[in-house]
Amino acid sequence: MMNKIDCNECRGWLHAYLDNELDTELSLHIAGHLVHCAACTQCYDEITILAASVKKSIPYYDAPAALTKNIMSNIHLQITPATSIWQTLNNVARNWLVPSFSVAVLTVALLLYVAAPSHEDSFVDEAVSDHIRSLMGEHLNDVISSDKHTVKPWFAGKLDFAPPVYDFSTKGYALLGGRLEYLQHQTAAALSYKHNKHIINAFILPTTDADTASHSLSKRGYNIVFWRQNHMQFIVVSDLNKVELEDLVRDIQNSK
Amino acid sequence: MHSKDDIYRFEQLFLPHLNAAHNLARWLTNSDSIAQDIVQESCLRAFKSLHRFAGGNARAWLLTIVRNQSYTWLKQTADMRYYVDVDDEVAMDDKDRMALAHSDTPEALATRTEDRKRLQNALDALPITFREVIVLKELEEMSYKEIAVVTEVPIGTVMSRLARGRAMLKEKLLANDE
Repeated sequence: MMNKIDCNECRGWLHAYLDNELDTELSLHIAGHLVHCAACTQCYDEITILAASVKKSIPYYDAPAALTKNIMSNIHLQITPATSIWQTLNNVARNWLVPSFSVAVLTVALLLYVAAPSHEDSFVDEAVSDHIRSLMGEHLNDVISSDKHTVKPWFAGKLDFAPPVYDFSTKGYALLGGRLEYLQHQTAAALSYKHNKHIINAFILPTTDADTASHSLSKRGYNIVFWRQNHMQFIVVSDLNKVELEDLVRDIQNSK
Repeated sequence: MHSKDDIYRFEQLFLPHLNAAHNLARWLTNSDSIAQDIVQESCLRAFKSLHRFAGGNARAWLLTIVRNQSYTWLKQTADMRYYVDVDDEVAMDDKDRMALAHSDTPEALATRTEDRKRLQNALDALPITFREVIVLKELEEMSYKEIAVVTEVPIGTVMSRLARGRAMLKEKLLANDE
């Protein structure tokens, strides 16, 4: 004859019983107890309902199709030795264009012109990479403070320009701190902000170019806004939606 | 150096589990774009350390990497919501065990589980250690043993976290609206 188990013991095993994780003997004990215990049975019914409704109603987030494609092209890159454009052109020139040197030169020039990424593309890419790095592998801030009077002086002496530092907590964009970044072959200031659960990086570097209005674009799943103002290049990157990111941009632009 | 065979092996082993990888990362980080980055990075890591995969459960292996990457990201963002410190390692005492008892209003529970949005919010609000076991159990239908592999804790801990997670979920569902 089986040993009887009490309610306490039964409750302790109930989840494992529901999940079919118990051996036959213990399962039989639990089943035996449930037959004559109304309280434990109600308890069991409740967790059954709960587990079933989670299974049924909770969203399952499938991977987007583009993600699979990206992953596979990324992985193919791992086995393809990187060929530089120079090597490619060299090969092409050697194999096909030696007799007509001038044609080769023209082709090289054309290809270089087409292949060279625009200035804008390269700094946006760099900024997105910096943003991702700041979230994943490395540290987000060198100086952690929501006080602009702490963050701004921290940059003094580290940069040859004074980046504008403002906190917009009252508008929901809290300043988290600042750090140094290296962008476009020069030292840049990076300020981080937080809006709800989203981290926003604002990169600032000096420029001699004329002011521009802000441009928004999205790249690799991130929203980016960039503009030039008072001889500074601003690039703001986040996974925050475009509308809210542009709200922050307006605040930065209007700060005096 | 990796070869074409490695790519074939990767496709066979891990591509079938990309949805599981994405689902877990999404539930842990609560962000579509971060979840995608994490799955990308995790797949690259899985590919690079393919030689260390000695056969067995490819899904659990991939999800372990995804979970670690997600935690790394969460620590960087220092999101306090994920830092709720619950000492779930302490064994359940009798009071706890009876707290898992049935509610006085089984009808209310039944009604509220019908409310998808409410259920989703309740799960979203659980501390991460409990949320992850529930996602792995109910959505991935993993065994305690597999969950133990992915979350790197003993099976007994999986069992107590699941029990406690469900109890907390029930509590949140039955809580009065603010």
